[in-house]
Amino acid sequence: MARGDTPMTRWLLNGQEVENPTGMTIMEAAREHGVDIPDFCYHPGLSIAGNCRICMVESNRSPKPIIACSERIADGLEIKTDSDVAVEARNSVMEFQLINHPLDCPVCDKSGECILQDHSYTHGPDRSRFVEDKNIRHTKELGPTISIWGNRCIVCTRCVRFCDEISGTGELCVVERGDRAVVDVFPGIPIDNAMAGNTVDICPVGALISEDFKFEARVWNMDRRDSVCGGCARGCNIEVETLDGYVKRLLPRENLEVNDWWMCDHGRYGWRHLYSENRLTTARTANQELEDDSATSTLADFVSRAKKVAFLIDPFLTCEELSLIHGLSSSIPDSIVGGWLPPKGTAEQFPSGFTISSAKHPNRRGAEKIFGSKVFGKDGKDLLKALDSRKVSTLIAFCGGPAEEGPGSSWSEAIRKARKRIVFSVMDGDWLKGASLVVPATAPLEKEGTWINEDGRLQRARSCWKPGDEPFCPELVRLQQVQMACEIRTRCLSAAGVFRELAENIKAFSQHSHSDLGDGGLPLSRRRARVDSKGGTR
Amino acid sequence: MAQTPSFSREAMKQYKWFLSRYPTRRAALLPTLRLAEQQFGELGVAEMRYVADLMKISPAAVFGVVTFYTHYRRAGTGKFHLQVCSTLSCALRGSEDVVTRISERLGISPGETSECGLFSLSKVECLGSCDTAPMLQCNDDYHEGLTLEDVDQLIEQLRSEASQGVNG
Repeated sequence: MARGDTPMTRWLLNGQEVENPTGMTIMEAAREHGVDIPDFCYHPGLSIAGNCRICMVESNRSPKPIIACSERIADGLEIKTDSDVAVEARNSVMEFQLINHPLDCPVCDKSGECILQDHSYTHGPDRSRFVEDKNIRHTKELGPTISIWGNRCIVCTRCVRFCDEISGTGELCVVERGDRAVVDVFPGIPIDNAMAGNTVDICPVGALISEDFKFEARVWNMDRRDSVCGGCARGCNIEVETLDGYVKRLLPRENLEVNDWWMCDHGRYGWRHLYSENRLTTARTANQELEDDSATSTLADFVSRAKKVAFLIDPFLTCEELSLIHGLSSSIPDSIVGGWLPPKGTAEQFPSGFTISSAKHPNRRGAEKIFGSKVFGKDGKDLLKALDSRKVSTLIAFCGGPAEEGPGSSWSEAIRKARKRIVFSVMDGDWLKGASLVVPATAPLEKEGTWINEDGRLQRARSCWKPGDEPFCPELVRLQQVQMACEIRTRCLSAAGVFRELAENIKAFSQHSHSDLGDGGLPLSRRRARVDSKGGTR
Repeated sequence: MAQTPSFSREAMKQYKWFLSRYPTRRAALLPTLRLAEQQFGELGVAEMRYVADLMKISPAAVFGVVTFYTHYRRAGTGKFHLQVCSTLSCALRGSEDVVTRISERLGISPGETSECGLFSLSKVECLGSCDTAPMLQCNDDYHEGLTLEDVDQLIEQLRSEASQGVNG
């Protein structure tokens, strides 16, 4: 009995004979067969603690119920997840979990995505038999971004294990014992590691609260979109949650090839600049503000009449936007293209293998695939020289980063030497003074398209804007409109359509399409294996 | 600023011997904490930090262990630490009355220290003296088979010891 080379174990799940790879836990194996066993303390990314007891099931090998998260399957093992014994065990555990729980769901930030709430609904009693006084545990700040609401804590120790095993920083512990037990930090040593925010995500109840998100939104009112973090070249898979079109929080999304279940706090809290008062949202010429449409036509006007044109690209642009810039630059004879990079940050590596890249931008690799590997190197230097020697008459610059000073002092000085300069910028700043045309640019979370991370993985980022609600025209559309005005394009396409063109034009992308990338992306060099009719892969 | 705690040569020798008796360093934490308690008199933030650094485990883990057990002498504990066993046998034989009596006599609740700094009162888990329930432990001594009169007498005795400067 083997699936490939993996030895298999046959066992009975709710009376049905099933097969799973040997060594699997009952919980994981049952989930493979669509039987969900509830959990609190179990998390696939952490060690097994087995302390919450909610996953108890009936076994033919034990006189008492056993916990499915730590017991492993064995040949001939018979597990019942819905027998009277199992149901009663679960219900009793649930009743105990709720004894000291304040049931303050109406004011709790976790409400709506709380595992305790879900299990209480499914497995819990509809009223409490507990007539004694509930005990009180501390509510306090554990660190700059996280506080604990101790009364809600069920002491599953997920957060403690996270700090021990994943971030390796060990700030958290369980203090006291029995019903007084609660999560705490050592006096004077707050939890402030760069992965701390994940503890709030994995808290199965509302005990660990993010100060950043506290009282900001009810989770069921928010819109969620799967996207990719643009904070560094790692490209962690994330969920962007918005309320009324405004980003409220970012959450990591499971991708074992990139970020496991985690993201870093730099990425997690790195979206506030979107709503900064220095955010650029309207276009303007040197002397007046422009409506969005006339900004596009002014831009098209500049481009169609321009001579000695140069493009300055940034590593925040998506492959689609870069493809459109590539289209424009190839239609203008003798135009030159160079790129700028934001300054290097600090890289961090954690014991779990999770890494934060020192490259604080998402798509250097993509730009190099489209414009050649020298675009940020020699080409950039050449462009800088050309600007300095006033050989560039019209410069079209992209500045998609969160920095208000744009691409940095040496670049902004050089940019001033172009006679006409058109700047796409996320943030407004002094360095934009005197530009012929300033156009608002989308920041990473607002882009529709693909990025290639530092490992060469092509991933889809999605915009936090709902179609039709964009506060200004994104570059993806504006650049196409410019191409149409220059008569090198006939119609405006979606990001997927632009990518299709890119795949036709540039060989590195030829294997891929948006739909093939799915939620988790693919290495640029590899195509998704197609399942043939016999069920095997080829 | 208080001096940073540090083990004496003797204590360090003892600590090394603990390490040799356990499969992992972390497993030697309990006796090491007891050693620190004897050496420093109590386990406060600085002392726990010292043990954590010495044993190369996170301060938080040490903090968790110290607070889990009731029998370590934590910072701020009075001269006499009255630890009343509150587990089953003692509870059945009236440990709650003992606690109430001490509370009344000293004006403190469990978990508190008297203003004079002499007495701390705690309810603790089983002290392994079920056959002589109810009982309490005062510093290192057991006081067993307690009646409420015994409690009064003990408090008087401790007070007079303190005023005579005898070390409890």
